[in-house]
Amino acid sequence: MSVSIAGVGAMASVGHDVAGLFEALCAGRSGQTPLRAFDATKFRAKTAFEIDDRTVQGADVPERATGWLLRVVAEAARQAGLGDDLSSVPVLVGTGLRELRSAELSWRGQASFDLGRLHFGSALAERFGAAASYTFANACSASLYALALGYDLLTAGEAEAVVVAGVDALTESMYGLLDRAQPGVPQGVRAFDTARNGTLLGEGAAAVVLRPDDSAPFAGGRGRLRAVSVNCDAYHVTAPDPQGMAAAIRDAHARAGVKADDIDLIMLHGTGTPLNDEAEAIAIGAVFGAAAGRPLMTGLKPQTGHTSGGAGLLSLVVALQALSSGRVPPLAGLVEPLPAAARFRFAPPGCQDQRLRLAQVNAFGFGGVNAVAIVEGSAG
Amino acid sequence: MDVVVTGVGLALAGAEREQELLGHGPDPKASVAPFDPAARIGGRGLRYKDRASQLALCAAADALAASGLVAADGRPTVNAASVGVTASSNTGNLDTVCLAASMLNEETSDGLSPMSLPNASSNVVASSVAMQFGLRGPNLMLCNGPTSGLDAVYWATQLLAGGRCESAVVIGTEPRNAVVARLCGVPEFALFDGAAAVVLEGAAAARGRGATPAARLGRFARERGLAACITRLLGGDGGGLGAWFTPESYNAKLVAPDVPRYDLSATFGLSSGALGVLQCVAAVGWLTSGGTGTALITTGDEGADAVSALLVFPACERADLPDKEHTP
Repeated sequence: MSVSIAGVGAMASVGHDVAGLFEALCAGRSGQTPLRAFDATKFRAKTAFEIDDRTVQGADVPERATGWLLRVVAEAARQAGLGDDLSSVPVLVGTGLRELRSAELSWRGQASFDLGRLHFGSALAERFGAAASYTFANACSASLYALALGYDLLTAGEAEAVVVAGVDALTESMYGLLDRAQPGVPQGVRAFDTARNGTLLGEGAAAVVLRPDDSAPFAGGRGRLRAVSVNCDAYHVTAPDPQGMAAAIRDAHARAGVKADDIDLIMLHGTGTPLNDEAEAIAIGAVFGAAAGRPLMTGLKPQTGHTSGGAGLLSLVVALQALSSGRVPPLAGLVEPLPAAARFRFAPPGCQDQRLRLAQVNAFGFGGVNAVAIVEGSAG
Repeated sequence: MDVVVTGVGLALAGAEREQELLGHGPDPKASVAPFDPAARIGGRGLRYKDRASQLALCAAADALAASGLVAADGRPTVNAASVGVTASSNTGNLDTVCLAASMLNEETSDGLSPMSLPNASSNVVASSVAMQFGLRGPNLMLCNGPTSGLDAVYWATQLLAGGRCESAVVIGTEPRNAVVARLCGVPEFALFDGAAAVVLEGAAAARGRGATPAARLGRFARERGLAACITRLLGGDGGGLGAWFTPESYNAKLVAPDVPRYDLSATFGLSSGALGVLQCVAAVGWLTSGGTGTALITTGDEGADAVSALLVFPACERADLPDKEHTP
């Protein structure tokens, strides 16, 4: 059973709305800059992919993630014709780091922050009158996990529209702990490349409005959500398990009623860490078999950084743009694919294909939480 | 879909069994030792886990054992992919996050422990439970403010109704520590320190594997404001109501004065994202110790972004109460 995607919103370091973001990605622009959020002398890595909207340089302010969330939700809701009143619309938010950056600022006496705003409910209630909002903190697959739950609400007939969103801002604790735990010091995010040596964090947000497939003329929508799978490796706190990833991909295909052969485009999770990209390549190889060379594959993180809980939905919004325009952003920075991905067909710069119809979107998170979505373009 | 509770678990000082949640709690004059996770489930597996996760593992262990979903060897007795986890905590990893931030005031990232990395991710509670018991179903972490615990119960029922799993363990956990106390602006002793867990499954599935339900869940509602939420569930008619599990602060007149009320945050400490699950366990304790009628559970109050509420019924009867489960 499909649901219609009636509106989309997105922002990241390289673009602050869907159109701007997509153009920047297709042009191969990167949002990577010297670290501005924190004192760079404390870390081995010195760069990130920030949305630097602070009014005073060097002085951080609380609730930046909240601001981006409200912005992308408004963009998607406007496009879907919902306007600013979401009092009867469930709003499901996936995030890795909530407003933990604000908690850090409060803890160190750099800003005052009401701990009741760690989750996004109060801001969504104030701005949109949202009564049924939920903040899911599901690491880097959070926004696709939220999408699965939104899909279930709609297909069960429990809502006439659902807003699903994802958002994350850098936290100093996560940036520092990654800096400490990663063996290398990544100069960039080299997803799926043999030279990859770790990930760098990015900031971003994305939102979609889901509607029952029959509620709006399909031509007006941005595409269809065919299915979302969710599972858990139950394997390791940070290391991924290719078997768990493969199970999630197979389940997504089965739920969507498609075969691996039907997938035209794969939006990779592609974090640039040695472990994730290897495991993801093995999982795709295991599920796609001989067809692994057929779909185009790309990923955003070389250009947006790892946008954590918002990453999956950001990929999905970009996939919808690609399906409707026939233009596919390149997997930037790829020189030599890792051996397990040697047969894969990665999107080169300037990639165009008008025949793309079905896309698979991967998101995998700490704790082995996997989520995979299948979407269909509005031109299909 | 009828959803039933087939196991409960607790990990807190002052109440070992669910019925003890209905009492006066630990004597405020006596110094009560904090709950010791290692004494309950052994130190193995607790290493590097934050306190919220340690407490959650203890409560989940008891709930899963009681339900029969996990055997004495700690492994699932059913298909591991059919068991989901939903967990709730608002303050669980604030200590990891803030102490790392403090460390970075003084030193470079070399001063941090890489073993803290998993705890910096707020879903560590839910994924730790999955790993400990090998549960491969959907794994969901709610950090949704005062209503979070009851919301985790609701989303577990949604996962069951959507066919994404056949059973789910729901855990609410909050740790007591200086970081949380300072950020919340309350003394440390006012904070709850513990976890509660319930195992939920469809009534038919529970029957099919011979599990004994302890309670049946009724409708869930979420509204802005406690009065609206209670009205939505009870339809202005409090008939049949046998107990009210209250939020942290509330207008006492919203429910008839003769209905016994239980304010677990007053008894056991400010329990934030653990409260809703703790209330469910207490409701089971109330039903299994002679309570008659329906239990009303409410979390969140006028100061919160919304209020979540749930009705809990005895397991085995349906007909003697006006069933409010119509679609409004």
